[in-house]
Amino acid sequence: MADRDVVFRVKRYRPEKDSKPSYQRYRIPYRDDMVVLDGLNYIKDTMDPTLTFRWSCRMGICGSCGANVNGQPKLTCGTYIRDVHRGVVTVDPLTNFPIIKDLVVDFDDFLNKLASVKPYIVREDWGDLTKEYVQYPEDIEAYKQQSMCINCMLCYAACPVVGANPHFVGPAAAALALRYIRDSRDEGADARLERLNTKSGVWECTFVGECSVVCPKDVDPAGALQTLKFLATMRHMKRLLMPKMASR
Amino acid sequence: MERATYDIVVVGGGGAGLRAAIAAAEADPSLTIALVSKVYPMRSHTVSAEGGTAAVLRDYDSFELHALDTIKGSDFLADQDAVEFFVQRCPEEIYQLEHWGCPWSRDPDGRVSQRAFGGMSVKRTVFAADKVGFHILHTLFQTSMKYPQIHRFDEYFVTTLLVDGNACAGVIALDLRGGQMIAIGAKATILATGGCGRVYEFTTNGFIKTGDGMALAYRAGVPLKDMEMVQFHPTCLPGTGILITEAARGEGGYLINKDGERYMQRYLPGKMELGPRDILSRSMIMEMKAGRAFKGLYGEYLGLDLRHLGEATIDKKLPMVRELTEKYMGLDPINEPIPVRPGQHYMMGGVSTNIRGETAVPGLYAVGETACVSINGANRLGSNSLSECLVFGTATGRAAVEFVKKKPAFPGAATIRDALKKEEARVFDGLFGRERGKETVAGVRVEMQQLMERDVGIFRETTALSDACTKLANLRERFSQVALTDKDRVFNTELTAVLELDFMLDVATAIAHSALQRKESRGAHSRTDFPDRDDANFLKHSLAFRTDGAPRIDYAPVTITKWQPVERKY
Amino acid sequence: MTARPYPWKRPRGWWLRNPRYLSFQLREAGGVVSALYGLILLNMLLQLRAGESAYTAFLDTMRTPPMLYVNLVLFGLVVFHAVSWFMLIGKAQPIRFTEKPIPWKSAFAVNLVLWLGVSGAVVYLIFGGL
Repeated sequence: MADRDVVFRVKRYRPEKDSKPSYQRYRIPYRDDMVVLDGLNYIKDTMDPTLTFRWSCRMGICGSCGANVNGQPKLTCGTYIRDVHRGVVTVDPLTNFPIIKDLVVDFDDFLNKLASVKPYIVREDWGDLTKEYVQYPEDIEAYKQQSMCINCMLCYAACPVVGANPHFVGPAAAALALRYIRDSRDEGADARLERLNTKSGVWECTFVGECSVVCPKDVDPAGALQTLKFLATMRHMKRLLMPKMASR
Repeated sequence: MERATYDIVVVGGGGAGLRAAIAAAEADPSLTIALVSKVYPMRSHTVSAEGGTAAVLRDYDSFELHALDTIKGSDFLADQDAVEFFVQRCPEEIYQLEHWGCPWSRDPDGRVSQRAFGGMSVKRTVFAADKVGFHILHTLFQTSMKYPQIHRFDEYFVTTLLVDGNACAGVIALDLRGGQMIAIGAKATILATGGCGRVYEFTTNGFIKTGDGMALAYRAGVPLKDMEMVQFHPTCLPGTGILITEAARGEGGYLINKDGERYMQRYLPGKMELGPRDILSRSMIMEMKAGRAFKGLYGEYLGLDLRHLGEATIDKKLPMVRELTEKYMGLDPINEPIPVRPGQHYMMGGVSTNIRGETAVPGLYAVGETACVSINGANRLGSNSLSECLVFGTATGRAAVEFVKKKPAFPGAATIRDALKKEEARVFDGLFGRERGKETVAGVRVEMQQLMERDVGIFRETTALSDACTKLANLRERFSQVALTDKDRVFNTELTAVLELDFMLDVATAIAHSALQRKESRGAHSRTDFPDRDDANFLKHSLAFRTDGAPRIDYAPVTITKWQPVERKY
Repeated sequence: MTARPYPWKRPRGWWLRNPRYLSFQLREAGGVVSALYGLILLNMLLQLRAGESAYTAFLDTMRTPPMLYVNLVLFGLVVFHAVSWFMLIGKAQPIRFTEKPIPWKSAFAVNLVLWLGVSGAVVYLIFGGL
């Protein structure tokens, strides 16, 4: 494979030196089989060891390596340079997050939001550990799509609402709330819908739909959010009109 | 905050670490537990496991059989009491994970499904499509959010253990975000940092698998057991090293050479593609040496043929295999065989522990791939390691709680302060502050990886192994010439790369020396100059102890209960 | 050390950054515009009630070239709003009538047909039929 060159234009921010982020350019050789992450590693290993970014599995399952590539949130390990190469490949940290250093952003906020939707099975009676709860293959289909979330944060980077309203629970946390609500073994729908039926919950969402466009795992958080709006409304109506039934 | 104290500190937030933390929180909710990880827990490498996790769940199976398969798979190096303990506890771990929401794939009757796997006599591998590690890790991580007593220290890199007298009193870690060091004192410390695949050039392992916990224990005087036992997984994508799960063969996939023949009939006609991984990896190398392999951009490879399984089966049982192959190889497995070759995958060896996860140092525990109990001996069967993380995660978490209940005091403030100062000097003045060196961290690292790949790989022999030992000592010298370009304190990943390389050189040295001293072939350790298994002299565990020079290799007996070693025939 | 993370601020032209954001803004603008057009129609009713001359004056204003252009633009935005919402109907299916979700193109087509049908009936009513 012939070696060609590409310029990586990477947003740098070194908090001890810089008052604000700025771009730095690197010219690197690349091959058809290189992904953007390979380019970043080439720069770090051979040209500029100060370049800082997160990565681990390099196969699109750990969710570490999210960044904006030519303005679009992507996993750098799954984006081939040949596909985004227009002479220059611009790499920015994910939109909508505070920048810790270079491409490393602060997403602790997401983990708090995730914890707030109780992302675990909630039940009264746990039974014993001698057998499983029965769950049919079609039951799994009901929540399978939302269970695929790798917490890569591309959806938060894509959502303009997250950008303007930091209290919005956001796509991934909402998708995971739905994953548990739809799990036939769970009994915690009520508590989750209570939390989501608020301004900081699903109602901030205006169905832009970009989250589902950028999701690398096809989780469809946009669909999940609209479903949650429906479920939250139904629950609210039930409690208003039939309070005795709803409290069961 | 420079100092904090917890009852238990768990280092590493993967399957084993999370399971241990949860088990400890459940055993005694009044205890405080710190979970310290250099990455956010859901990034831990458990996430990439694909195939499944084994347990005896059905009538056609038995603990005896699971134990026998495991012990035979280990080439009789496994400790049989540990194996018996292990197989008996796998089922309840499966059901516990299931209760916590893990989406195991199901049979039409709603019960948990099981599939065939390499070296297992019957179908006992529980799975979740082909993303079992992802689902286990996310289930554990999300479930851990239920326990307010588990405090997470995300992106804190542990640089050394806190030692008080002869006991372990916690850890000292670098806060990546703030750039300063913190001492976390604890009555019990559990190491669950995974394996060390990144000492090799071609590995399925993620970037973070640098043997940190192994090196931490090693430096505290704990021996590393059976380090020469390195598992090479037969089916990795050439170039990237991305894993293609054994489940592909479990569902019926074939391995073919360039002539289209299922070459395993030459090496293991009984089990064919479902033989144990060490035999399969060696067979591939032998096919390559015989000139029957395909040749491609990244060297030689064999073919994993799934075409006859059909699109429906592949999409249902192996969807991620299809996605990975399309994305990283540019071909569709329903139309073409997947190029595969063997790559480093797992460490059977690790920190020497007993069944309770205890090491030789009181207060110090190890669990998961970091540890060597040993249940995997000289070769691990696929789908046993996730079960190991769960079973021993629970056992070790509970053992740590019992230990903590008996121990009256936290380590003293003065001890902690002094240890912290000393470590800050070592890291900041020593490593970080070093002026101008002629080596780069990447340069030394790549050389280590290449020499391990070449000299301490699937087939080993004396000259290459001795050579490796010498070269590693040389690299250790050159490491002292590595200086940092990045002098920022905030999120300095060049510094963490240096710290990781420091750990990796220790671990690689233990591997090479242990391999040199084991003059036989057993399981994954294959010597061309000593091709036979030698029970008379080597039915024992290697123990590598750190010294200022070459590691001192000693031995410990293997515990045999029911199964006398016989020839390992499949 | 006063090193701190660089805070996030949403840039003003954020919606120009990609075609789907622009489309979203137009869609939302279409909603506002639909509401505003409702006010014009309300005004028409008021003028109708006020008497023949008031109503005729209103219609004359509506017939002037500038107003016709405004109507065209408003009509365009309302159609865009309707069509883009119809395209979203299939993408969010909280109630499942079938086992697998209906492909969004089918949901879109059905709604489009319904809309054209109802609009056609209304036009027929206004311009003579019945």
